[in-house]
Amino acid sequence: MAGLVQNIPLIGAEIPWLRQLREAGIRAFENSGIPTAKTEAWKYTKPRDLNANDYIMDSRGETVTPGHFSLPFDGYRIHFENGIFDPEQTELPQGVEVLPLAEALLLRGETRGYLGRLVDLKRHPFAALNTGYLNEGVFIRVEKNVDLKKPLILINHTDSCGRNLFFNLRHLLILEEGASAEFVEIYHYGGEVKSRYFANIVTEAFLAPKARLQHYKYQAEAFKANHIALTAVDIETAAEYQAFTLQKGANIARNETRVSLRREQARAEVNAAYLMNGWATIDTTTDIEHLAPCTFSDQLVKGVVGGDAKGVFQGKIHIAPHAVKTGGRQLHKALLLSDTAEIDVKPELEIFADDVKCSHGAASGELDEEALFYMRSRGIGGEEARRLLIDAYLEDVIAKVPDPRIRAWFEELK
Amino acid sequence: MTIPLLEIEDLSARVCDKEIIKGFNLTINEGEVHAVMGPNGAGKSTLSYVLCGKPGYEVTGGSVWFKGKNLLAMSPEERAREGIFLCMQYPVEIPGVPVTTFLKHAVNAVRAHQNLPELDTMNFIKLVREEGKKLGLDAEMIKRPVNVGFSGGEKKRLETLQMSVLKPMLSILDEADSGLDIDALKVVADGVNALRDGRRSMLVITHYQRLLNYIVPDYVHVFADGHIVKSGDKSLALELEETGYAGFIKEK
Ligand SMILES: Nc1ncnc2c1ncn2[C@@H]1O[C@H](COP(=O)(O)OP(=O)(O)O)[C@@H](O)[C@H]1O
Ligand SMILES: [Mg+2]
Repeated sequence: MAGLVQNIPLIGAEIPWLRQLREAGIRAFENSGIPTAKTEAWKYTKPRDLNANDYIMDSRGETVTPGHFSLPFDGYRIHFENGIFDPEQTELPQGVEVLPLAEALLLRGETRGYLGRLVDLKRHPFAALNTGYLNEGVFIRVEKNVDLKKPLILINHTDSCGRNLFFNLRHLLILEEGASAEFVEIYHYGGEVKSRYFANIVTEAFLAPKARLQHYKYQAEAFKANHIALTAVDIETAAEYQAFTLQKGANIARNETRVSLRREQARAEVNAAYLMNGWATIDTTTDIEHLAPCTFSDQLVKGVVGGDAKGVFQGKIHIAPHAVKTGGRQLHKALLLSDTAEIDVKPELEIFADDVKCSHGAASGELDEEALFYMRSRGIGGEEARRLLIDAYLEDVIAKVPDPRIRAWFEELK
Repeated sequence: MTIPLLEIEDLSARVCDKEIIKGFNLTINEGEVHAVMGPNGAGKSTLSYVLCGKPGYEVTGGSVWFKGKNLLAMSPEERAREGIFLCMQYPVEIPGVPVTTFLKHAVNAVRAHQNLPELDTMNFIKLVREEGKKLGLDAEMIKRPVNVGFSGGEKKRLETLQMSVLKPMLSILDEADSGLDIDALKVVADGVNALRDGRRSMLVITHYQRLLNYIVPDYVHVFADGHIVKSGDKSLALELEETGYAGFIKEK
């Protein structure tokens, strides 16, 4: 465990609240340790495969070639290299503030009121560790009633230059009343395909009444890298959160989303797709809390698993006792491409209120052999035919992406 | 001397350990239309699948030559690219894959095999529209997922459209008339007849004589007990209609 707790320079060490928060994070992580196979929340995704003792945390001093990620749509770009902010600035419009987190910690007193509010350090060891190293990341604030026309695009490019790099990233998004924005997170790598590194990411988002956030994520890390992410979202009256994540990379990737539908008419849509081969484990874990009446959530997660890979879906819907007239839906579907591919699904409904509409479902299947033969009998090659069927399989979940430009991008990426 | 388009020699094949094709022989030359008629369960669909290389259909003996090449050594897609097309008795539904996407991939796979440049979307759509118009097809059909929610007639029309677009050297029609009303039957027959150019050939597999009024064969074969038991010209089909298959099936 010591491997993930190391002395590295952090900004604002003299600020008492920040120091205390970081210390609480480290303490919580040291108390719980890295989850084991006995930890219920990590029953299927085996943390021992993270090889956590073998990382270095200080990547400063290395010069890496900045990775370029071309996108078919325009936006406000925020770049990170190996988890470190790259001060190349994009012009921002009125009404939105984007700062490196380190700067916001010093300059924006309000970070104190928000950071860590949505993260239970005891329940989330990696988020606790991340809290211990609060430093790198991005702070975004969209002012009242501002409607950002172009997406904010965060791109982290990792080129670990042969070292086993471990880095923490912490993002804080504040959408004021009636604000509307799109936030795209991209994690990709350069250099060795076999490079081993570990990205530990926590994102906290606060949606004030009537705010709307479209949150997109694309994860395509190196196939021996680990990517553990927790996104925690707090949704106020009539605010709306819509998420879509596409995961394709990593040795172990866990994308965990916690949503608190705190006031009436709060809505969340948490959709995801994943595609993998080899030995990868891709874990999608969700925990949607309905804390007020008339709140709604919808989840569709679809996976395509080949080789010896494993797909994990743990989805929880919690409905608090007074949260009547709420609706929560959840569906996980997977396509298994080989006999050795594996799927583990754990749906959990905790319903303490009457008069609610909740449902969950799971299904898994294989590629339709008849359809494959039909296509091949028309001259389409076997691989191409499989590709067409996989594309068709993921069609409906990608169709849920509200922004057509970003939807088209995901259609290309999958 | 020109080599035959298709030469089936003493072919035997089985499905699920059951011998269905037993010592089957047939030669089809360029430009010829052959009808193979047989009772239900005779193995007609099995024969068509074996010729197209469907997984699970195991050849246990004999050989098949297509344009002088060993057909049985080819994958299903290679056979299609070489010019074999199976108009299926039960076309398969492919949810989520629109007809245009599917057919464009097929056309370009065949073109690539013939060293022709890829058709772009515009020219492809133009080609499909033209062929569809000749057959009097609803243009909306090509936007829908392949065969999903199609009526029996629509499925056969789509098979015909694919055949018209891919222009195969050998079209195998497996019960192309099953479940069709007269209008749909004419669409299918028109599509097939349009391909009769003196070089392309057809293998028309059918239980009933009716289809052969519209696609007039040069030769008719009776298929029973795993192989051809009698061959003749188109009058054999009429004879069969009169007498039924009973007289051709061996007493067991
Ligand atoms: N997949 C299969 N598994 C087992 N038996 C099969 C299979 N396909 C066909 N058969 C059998 O093979 C025989 C021939 O079937 P088929 O080729 O469909 O006949 P036809 O098309 O002439 O009606 C039938 O007895 C049928 O039950
Ligand atoms: Mg049949």
